[in-house]
Amino acid sequence: MGKTTAKTAAKKKCQMTTWQKVKRYKWIYLMLMPALLYFVIFRVTAIIGMKLAFYDYKIVGDNTFVGMKYFKMLFDTPAFWNIMKNTLLISSIKIFLLFPFPVMFALLLNEVGRTKFGKFVQVVSYMPHFLSWVIIAGIWIDAFSQGGIVTEIMKAFGMEYKNLMVSKSAIIPILTGSEMWRSIGWDSIIYLSAILGISKELYDAAAIDGAGRWKTAKHIILPALAVPMVTVLILNVGFIMSAGLDQILNFSNDAVLSRIDIIDTYVYRIGLVNTQYSFATAASLFKGIIGTAMVLITHFISKKLTGTGAW
Amino acid sequence: MKKKITIGQLLIRICLLTAALLILIPILNILAKSISNPKLVPYMSGWQFWPSGFDLINYKLIFSNSLVTRSFLNSLFITTAGTMLSLLVTGSAAYALTRPGLPFKKPLMVFFIIMMIFEPSIIQEYFVIKDLNLLNNIWVMVLYNSVNVYYLILMMRFFEETPIALIEAAKIDGAGELSVFFRIFLPLNKIAFMTVGMFYAVVRWNEYFKSSVFLQTRDTTVLQVFLKQFVVNGDSTAIASYANVDLTSLNIGSLKAATIVIVMVPILAMYPLILKYYTGGVMAGGVKE
Repeated sequence: MGKTTAKTAAKKKCQMTTWQKVKRYKWIYLMLMPALLYFVIFRVTAIIGMKLAFYDYKIVGDNTFVGMKYFKMLFDTPAFWNIMKNTLLISSIKIFLLFPFPVMFALLLNEVGRTKFGKFVQVVSYMPHFLSWVIIAGIWIDAFSQGGIVTEIMKAFGMEYKNLMVSKSAIIPILTGSEMWRSIGWDSIIYLSAILGISKELYDAAAIDGAGRWKTAKHIILPALAVPMVTVLILNVGFIMSAGLDQILNFSNDAVLSRIDIIDTYVYRIGLVNTQYSFATAASLFKGIIGTAMVLITHFISKKLTGTGAW
Repeated sequence: MKKKITIGQLLIRICLLTAALLILIPILNILAKSISNPKLVPYMSGWQFWPSGFDLINYKLIFSNSLVTRSFLNSLFITTAGTMLSLLVTGSAAYALTRPGLPFKKPLMVFFIIMMIFEPSIIQEYFVIKDLNLLNNIWVMVLYNSVNVYYLILMMRFFEETPIALIEAAKIDGAGELSVFFRIFLPLNKIAFMTVGMFYAVVRWNEYFKSSVFLQTRDTTVLQVFLKQFVVNGDSTAIASYANVDLTSLNIGSLKAATIVIVMVPILAMYPLILKYYTGGVMAGGVKE
């Protein structure tokens, strides 16, 4: 008896037209409206506006279609290739060179266990992640100035004072260092939680087999870190076209600009400051297309390999 | 054997302590400089994490500057109003998207994910804001970032765990969708709202680039933009309006330090809450920022 009613109910549901279903959910759709409106007004219109890359910008009257003119111009500009090189170099350093440090940090933190000392290190090391790049630049500029902590350390090693913030050869190491300063603690969380997820039985079994600290780390902890490590690496590669706009805007100055000018800073300067709207939009669209493709590709690779994607 | 382990443990602790101190001391040094006697600040080394003398003159001076108080209030307004708006818009969207059997859920999610990964150029964003007549209107930074799709997805993960039976029961009692959301769903998911609220509050307080593009008048400046001009660019004209002050008794370094502290304090004040919710949320949701 109950079964039949359930069946008819199911049938009725199937017979409902899409329109009827939508009507049943009208309040739900209404709750979705603000989010949709936000994106349509602020994002979709801006994305459609990027067609300007194919047009000449006119202050009065309609823009004229020029096809690939601005892309050709872009690819013929030597400065653009320098900027591409900078972007890829800086983001690659962040993705690959800095990659092992949070892993090591998590391993070390795990060794001290849940002690007061371990907690202290965690609380301190997560903190810079919540500070804006403006604040961090302020702190770092001070640390590199005369009497600052970095200058003092260099003095201890017998080096003479030099303002490294305006040194072309030092600026990329400074970007790398400040990125590490900001995120070593925070980025280690994902690994630490993977380590904490290892079951106690596994440790006990290793102990029975006579494994010491090193062997436990090698055969139990590192394998547990493999999945998050692969995920982080692949997904970070997806963001290779973004080298860190806020950081670079705040660490940049005239002396080092040619070394750390990236696509985002270039688009802002050429577009909004120098008002070459179409040209800058072309650069931005180029970045957007490659960047989106990279995010999508790395998402699907990661999903396939590790089961975790970018969203 | 046993001795070897203790040496290893010691080395590990030294490594971690060094890392922690390299992070902490520069921050404490700024804090110390800001409350020191300005005359003694030039003699302070970067290692010193305690003040030399004690003087609050820097803070008095900074807050007597109308540009600072103005931008502080602007930042505070944008952060609080903006976070509330974000929570409301994101929360109700996440609720809608997690209702079972919602027609067109798939295409809607595809739309949101496209919005997440394809970022428009700053030029077109600027044009859109200009066309909406929102340039140099403080509300622009409240509206901007109403929804962040990463946080929307995080919220949906939280909501998916709310037992459906509770909501069904309320509906049988005749509650409408909106009252179900506000009266039953919201209190049940306090942790979700706190977590995502922290995410939004930090992002909004720290927003620098978009604020610097969309808000360019003196009246609408936010704190991060002021900090960039004064401390990072070293543009002292930003503080030129300090009237009737004996400039020789000042130290520009300690004034800068105090400005940094003012911008840092709201984050540091929230830090215990952040640790509780934000970190927990990241651990649970596995969300990458």
